Amino acid sequence: MKRTLSVLVALIMLLTLTPAFAAQEEINIFMWSDYISDDLIANFEDEYGVRVNLSYMSDNADSITKLTAGAGSEYDLIMTCDAYMESLIAGGYLEQLDLSQIPNSENINRAYWSEQNQGYCVPYLMNYIYVVYDTERCPIEITCYNDLIRPEMKGQIGSVDGARNLFPIALIALGYDPNSRNENEIKEAYEWLVKYNENVVAYGSTETNMVSGTISCMFTYDGNTAEAMAQLGENNTLTVAPFTSDPVQLGFDLYVIPKGAQHIDLAYKFLNYICDPEVMAANLVDNPYSCPNDAAVAAASEEYRNGPAFNFDYKTNIFFQEDVGDAITIYDQYYQMLKVG
Amino acid sequence: MMKQISNRKLRRQKRNRFFGALYASIIYALFYIPVLVMIQFSFNDAKRNYSWEGFTTMWYGKLFSFRNHDLWEALVYSLIIAVIATIISVAIGVLGGVGLKKFEFRGKRFINLMLYVPIVVPEIVLAVSMLIIFMTIGIKLGMGTIVIGHCTFCIPYAVVTIKGRISGDNETLQEASMDLGANRLQTFWRVTIPSIMPGILSAAFLSFTLSIDDVIMSNMLASARQSTLPVLILSVNRTGVTPDINALTTIMVLVMVAGMLLLSAVQRARAKKEAREIAEMEKRISTMHSMVE
Amino acid sequence: MNGASTAKKRHNRLPAIAQAGPVSLWMILFVTIPMLFIIFISFMTRGSFGGVEYTPTLTSYETLADVIYLNVILKSLRVALVTTVVCLLLGYPFAYYIARKPADVASRLIMLLMIPLWTNSLMRLNAWMLLFQTNGPVNKALLGLGFVEKPVTFLYTDGLVLLGLITNFLPFAVLPMYSSIEKLQTAMLEASADLGAKPSVTFFRVTLPLTFPGIFSAIILTFIPALGTYTITDMLGGGKVLYIGNIIKNQFGTIRNWPLGAALSVLLLLVTALLIFVYSRFAKIEDMEVL
Repeated sequence: MKRTLSVLVALIMLLTLTPAFAAQEEINIFMWSDYISDDLIANFEDEYGVRVNLSYMSDNADSITKLTAGAGSEYDLIMTCDAYMESLIAGGYLEQLDLSQIPNSENINRAYWSEQNQGYCVPYLMNYIYVVYDTERCPIEITCYNDLIRPEMKGQIGSVDGARNLFPIALIALGYDPNSRNENEIKEAYEWLVKYNENVVAYGSTETNMVSGTISCMFTYDGNTAEAMAQLGENNTLTVAPFTSDPVQLGFDLYVIPKGAQHIDLAYKFLNYICDPEVMAANLVDNPYSCPNDAAVAAASEEYRNGPAFNFDYKTNIFFQEDVGDAITIYDQYYQMLKVG
Repeated sequence: MMKQISNRKLRRQKRNRFFGALYASIIYALFYIPVLVMIQFSFNDAKRNYSWEGFTTMWYGKLFSFRNHDLWEALVYSLIIAVIATIISVAIGVLGGVGLKKFEFRGKRFINLMLYVPIVVPEIVLAVSMLIIFMTIGIKLGMGTIVIGHCTFCIPYAVVTIKGRISGDNETLQEASMDLGANRLQTFWRVTIPSIMPGILSAAFLSFTLSIDDVIMSNMLASARQSTLPVLILSVNRTGVTPDINALTTIMVLVMVAGMLLLSAVQRARAKKEAREIAEMEKRISTMHSMVE
Repeated sequence: MNGASTAKKRHNRLPAIAQAGPVSLWMILFVTIPMLFIIFISFMTRGSFGGVEYTPTLTSYETLADVIYLNVILKSLRVALVTTVVCLLLGYPFAYYIARKPADVASRLIMLLMIPLWTNSLMRLNAWMLLFQTNGPVNKALLGLGFVEKPVTFLYTDGLVLLGLITNFLPFAVLPMYSSIEKLQTAMLEASADLGAKPSVTFFRVTLPLTFPGIFSAIILTFIPALGTYTITDMLGGGKVLYIGNIIKNQFGTIRNWPLGAALSVLLLLVTALLIFVYSRFAKIEDMEVL
């Protein structure tokens, strides 16, 4: 018993002390797992002689919860999405960026990077949230959001979840601003979503359900679609819905430096590194998502640029998810009603 | 007549034993089917486990190339946390279970009530609240804070299982032990603990299981250096689990089964050795007897 | 409790502190204080940028009056109840089976029960889904054997959700019942049989009442966590229904309304406390010193 205990204690000490022995500088990054290439991290570590500690979020709100609870200074870079930026800036949770320290950020298309956000974040990858269907199994051709609530689609749809992903498409279908703060409009959108909800089989795991034949139509991210299409390979009969006029949501995953970060220098080096066209182009092989870095896209492989998941012609007919301020509680209320019934 | 009855009884016993074993097998199947499927998909020839695409062993190759340290580090980190959390929870749980059962003191009802709180409240509530408090008083996040978080929900489970095990008999036994001159510590160690051993084992199993599978506390109270395995898995689940995680889990199960087999082999060997020693002793005694005669 | 033994117990201050002290201290430090903080937050104002503004208000509790929260609680209670009942019905005979085995066999059987749980629960849920998906092995077998014409949709049905809940909570019901059946004296059951009682009578008059504490623990360990669960129902149910656990989680996450999340947690605590209270009165449990 005693021996086991002392071995255990020794093990713990070893494990907790290892990082302390390493005299290397460290950078702590909080992000999604499986969302950046291992090679990129390894190369960055070699090139700058530093150690990169990645820790992973399990939910998009995790980074927000950590920041608001005051644990931001534990990290040097945190991944979050554009919808939270306004709140995070206004709440004073972020360090202001000095873009002169990130010269490669010139490569990022300013259309995707608002003036205000330029001071606080660097976009990493981006996601269209659009509609994809199986040409062989889906009962109808989908060309607008209203097609999704047609009775023929009952039991056919897989969908992403979350109030702020679902309400915008209802608002657009009804002809309103996708970021509306008007309660009556939100209420109408709720009624639209009740019909949508009847056609939905499941929220989340869209690509699994598509590949396994559980659904024939999905409202989902382009990166997930790319994964599903790659897995189907030659049997791929999925196609991005040929939308005629409805805009699609474009969301960003971006890096911010939390207030009080300990290694701001390294954070800048890392941000500059990932904005390098060659580095990012290599990263896109493992992570075939849309990318706001034009130079990187130009340098990326044919295969990536001609991927069937990005084969649609309304890439500029987009809207962004904006912070809706206190109206979030109205959205929340109707979202709960939708799910509770 | 007598014989007939006992025959019938025997047959009934036999039948009961058969149905008992059948029933238990069905229940075990409920637990092992998903594990077998999980193992099968560690050999899946696809980038992500959306469906079965054919057989490959490449994921094991990838795992043992140790190029991707993430998974191994996360596993070791989770295991160490689970072991420490289990030891602390069981120690506090044994003392607490016995103490709360045996003694009357002011505030006991309150403590009993508090024990239910971590079981009832969704974990995120305690996790966020603890995070804010730790940050406010300046406690560094890390393995220590995760262990504290895990113990907080393991201790109630440990206390509940151990308390359920203590009965009036224990008290009688304890009193007998003290009457025979044992002091409190001896009584606790030699009488109380063995009498509640199955409860202690259950408590240890429960604590380990809860800790090794926890996501929320592990996520909220973690430092920036390291994530636990469940957090990593949940994070990957956004786009679909990759088969190398199945491979890692398979190895984990195999190691545990091997450990269990080893443990029972050691136990059996020890029991055999004891039996042999006793037999030898008896033989010696009987020889002595015969010599005396 | 008679006077003499109470007096005796008073003398035992030192051992009482040594035994009940650590657990009390832990609970006060890491449960009472955080919960007081949560109760405090529930009376504060939602910060516009998340977090909390320290201006007292009753807004959160006024929001709770909405009928929607009553519905959510009722829904969550129903799921928890069904799960608990099935776990008890399946778990008791199983626990009984294990407990009647020789001690070394029993402990190995219990270990056999726990091993699958040491794999990740998410991975196990994934496995069920892979098994039952539309082009999965179960459907292929059914089609191959000619039982069905076209694939059956198993995913996202109530049946699969229940399967997930049961496989997750059953071990937590079995363990306490096992340890309380195991300590039953075989002699007592034999005496009952020798006195001419039928096995069913022995079971209902002797075995069941004597193992009641174990059953009570089993109920606590399944019903209460099932009440706050959401990962299983979310994954296997396709996220179409929200339970109380989801709603509280969302307040602390995406919605960033901590005071409402805190108030909902307080409500959940009160509901559970009430249930335990009613239950322990109803079942006349002297042993459970609850509340």
